Amino acid sequence: MGGSTQDGAERIHIYRTGGLAVPLLEFRGITKDYRLGKTVVRALRGLDLVVEEGEVIAIMGPSGSGKSTLMHIVGALDTPTGGTAFLDGQDLQQLKEHQLVALRGKKVGFVFQTFNLVQTLSAQRNVELPMIFQGIRKGERARRARELLIKVGLGDRVKHKPNELSGGERQRVAMARALANDPEIILADEPTGNLDTESGTPVLAMLKKLSVNDGKTVIIVTHDPDAAAIADRIVRLRDGCVVAVSSYGVEGESGVPSTGCDVDGSINEPSTLGTTTEGDDSHA
Amino acid sequence: MLKDFLVLAGQSIMHRRMRSWLTVIGVFIGITAVVALISIGLGLERTITDQIASVFGVDTFIIMNEGAFGPQAHGPGGSEEYALDLATLRAVEGVKVAAAVRERTAFLQGPPRSDGTPLQGFFPVSGLSPELITEFESFTGELKVQKGGRLFDVGEEAVTVLGSEIANRFQASVGNTVFVAGEGAAELSLTVVGILIPAEEDEGSRGVFAGGMNQSQNQDTIYVPYETMDLLWGPAKDVLITVVRVNPGEDVDEVADRAEEILNARGSEISAVTYTDISEVIGTMTSTISAFLAGIAGISLLVGGVGVMNTMFTSVLERTKEIGVMKAVGAKNGHVLTIFLIESGLMGLVGGIVGTLLGLGLSAAASSIIGRLFGVEMAVVASPTLILTTLVCSFGIGAIAGLWPAWRAAQLPVVDALRYE
Ligand SMILES: Nc1ncnc2c1ncn2[C@@H]1O[C@H](COP(=O)(O)OP(=O)(O)OP(=O)(O)O)[C@@H](O)[C@H]1O
Ligand SMILES: [Mg+2]
Repeated sequence: MGGSTQDGAERIHIYRTGGLAVPLLEFRGITKDYRLGKTVVRALRGLDLVVEEGEVIAIMGPSGSGKSTLMHIVGALDTPTGGTAFLDGQDLQQLKEHQLVALRGKKVGFVFQTFNLVQTLSAQRNVELPMIFQGIRKGERARRARELLIKVGLGDRVKHKPNELSGGERQRVAMARALANDPEIILADEPTGNLDTESGTPVLAMLKKLSVNDGKTVIIVTHDPDAAAIADRIVRLRDGCVVAVSSYGVEGESGVPSTGCDVDGSINEPSTLGTTTEGDDSHA
Repeated sequence: MLKDFLVLAGQSIMHRRMRSWLTVIGVFIGITAVVALISIGLGLERTITDQIASVFGVDTFIIMNEGAFGPQAHGPGGSEEYALDLATLRAVEGVKVAAAVRERTAFLQGPPRSDGTPLQGFFPVSGLSPELITEFESFTGELKVQKGGRLFDVGEEAVTVLGSEIANRFQASVGNTVFVAGEGAAELSLTVVGILIPAEEDEGSRGVFAGGMNQSQNQDTIYVPYETMDLLWGPAKDVLITVVRVNPGEDVDEVADRAEEILNARGSEISAVTYTDISEVIGTMTSTISAFLAGIAGISLLVGGVGVMNTMFTSVLERTKEIGVMKAVGAKNGHVLTIFLIESGLMGLVGGIVGTLLGLGLSAAASSIIGRLFGVEMAVVASPTLILTTLVCSFGIGAIAGLWPAWRAAQLPVVDALRYE
């Protein structure tokens, strides 16, 4: 893992000597196919996305448009089928499993729609979990976990198990867990999807604060206009492609849609899209 | 980090308390059986060897017919008697005392009975070295004579001690004469010096090797000094057993080998058996038996292992999402593997601890029951090697049974695991 960060540093160096700022995230022509027997599901079809450090990005789009798939690739939970994906100067496709593990553990923090807390562990132990895998000592770990829980407003809930917490509280524990190893990127896949507005608001506020105060890069997948409101940019997906990039309130084509995306003009018929049969590509 | 994994595994076990206990029960039944059987086997072996040691001491060996002892002991039909030159044996370097028993059937005539006629007939005659009685009481048991009589002494020849039954039939008492016909023209008139106490009144004094003159028989026998047998029949192939004690400081195995060599060179066909030889044979016998029993018990251990495997598979399945979460927050495959292995190993270990305790308890209980049934003091053995091996093995069984499920858990792709409902 030491090697991988070094590679990254070198890349940054090359970019900087070339006079270019390296984007934190640079996706070019990303595709992701899922094979289900003979059927190939094309979840991403040549997606382009560039995210700068410290940005808050909202990703929006209809169900099945590939938002979660994209997030999984950014979070090193999954690898793309094609295209080039650079995260902090590292080519995700070239990384070995242990390097991907290191990315998941330290560079990104994931917040899930369904919280995904470990039911058998207390709030504090859940927050400690990512630190356990990094081999951080018990005392240090516990101190930091409590600190983070206080930060998300759950200082009095450290001993509670997930099923003794409300949905909003659970999501805040998940936020604290995502921050455990002080990652540069926070990925939140519909963090308020299972919450009402009242409990969703503090979660969104916290995400915004992470960008503003701590300079973290935040990517949020959302259907919720309130969530989109905290974003610097909104990226709209459809059928595995970026169809529009805009600033909040500025509807329309203020950004550049993906150039390499092979949507071949069938955008308006989503029912025929996303799924093709192998060897049947030309007809799709 | 291992400590943290231990805690995580422990928490998961405790979370599924009921199922974990059932799994543990599956393991400890097998362990209990194995530990109990092996412990009982060890106790039995210890009991027998202790008994033999108490009879033999460290300075005594016996001489038996060649092939009567050991793994290649002759089958039925072979004669157990052998010829022995006691004088040569006594002259072997290192031998302190040697005493022998020979036995044959001879024509006897008792003293005149109340009707004036003496009883005649063929009866067993045992020739005992007087030293057997004075020096090797642990072998013969205490031979007790009725009031007014005595046993014969070293150097006496024309004397006899009668078993109580034969004394009754002869209507003989101390001071009477019994006539014995020997080989050819040899014959002797023996003075009765004592009559044995009948068996019922003489319980509990039977020595291990008194069987040489079988207890039920021995009241039916007349006993004469060993040398008297020589006078009547000369040296013959009728020696049942010989007991030899070596001089203090001599190595009993060495002297036994020497005696065996010298006697066999002179035409005897004997083997000298020491405590070491006997305990070796008993050791292989009991360990074969306990290995066989433990093997059977091992099958239940295998079943327990399959139980652990089943539990771990279920555990992996229902925690698929949790595995995904752990990997999503930075767990390596090795971490997941370790957590699950510790979990299954722990269940095995707990089963091992419970099983060992129960097994030792069971063997102690069984020992006291066996002891009561057979009227012996059974040794209870809690072998530290056995306990340690069992604990290590039980952890191993758990871990091995968990290996496959754990490996499967570790290999799950993160996204698939997270998606699992
Ligand atoms: N493991 C998989 N196997 C097969 N197809 C998959 C798999 N994961 C995702 N897909 C398909 O890929 C497409 C994109 O899925 P994705 O989960 O990224 O959508 P999404 O934009 O997150 O939708 P939603 O808003 O409902 O969460 C869908 O058509 C989905 O059916
Ligand atoms: Mg989704």
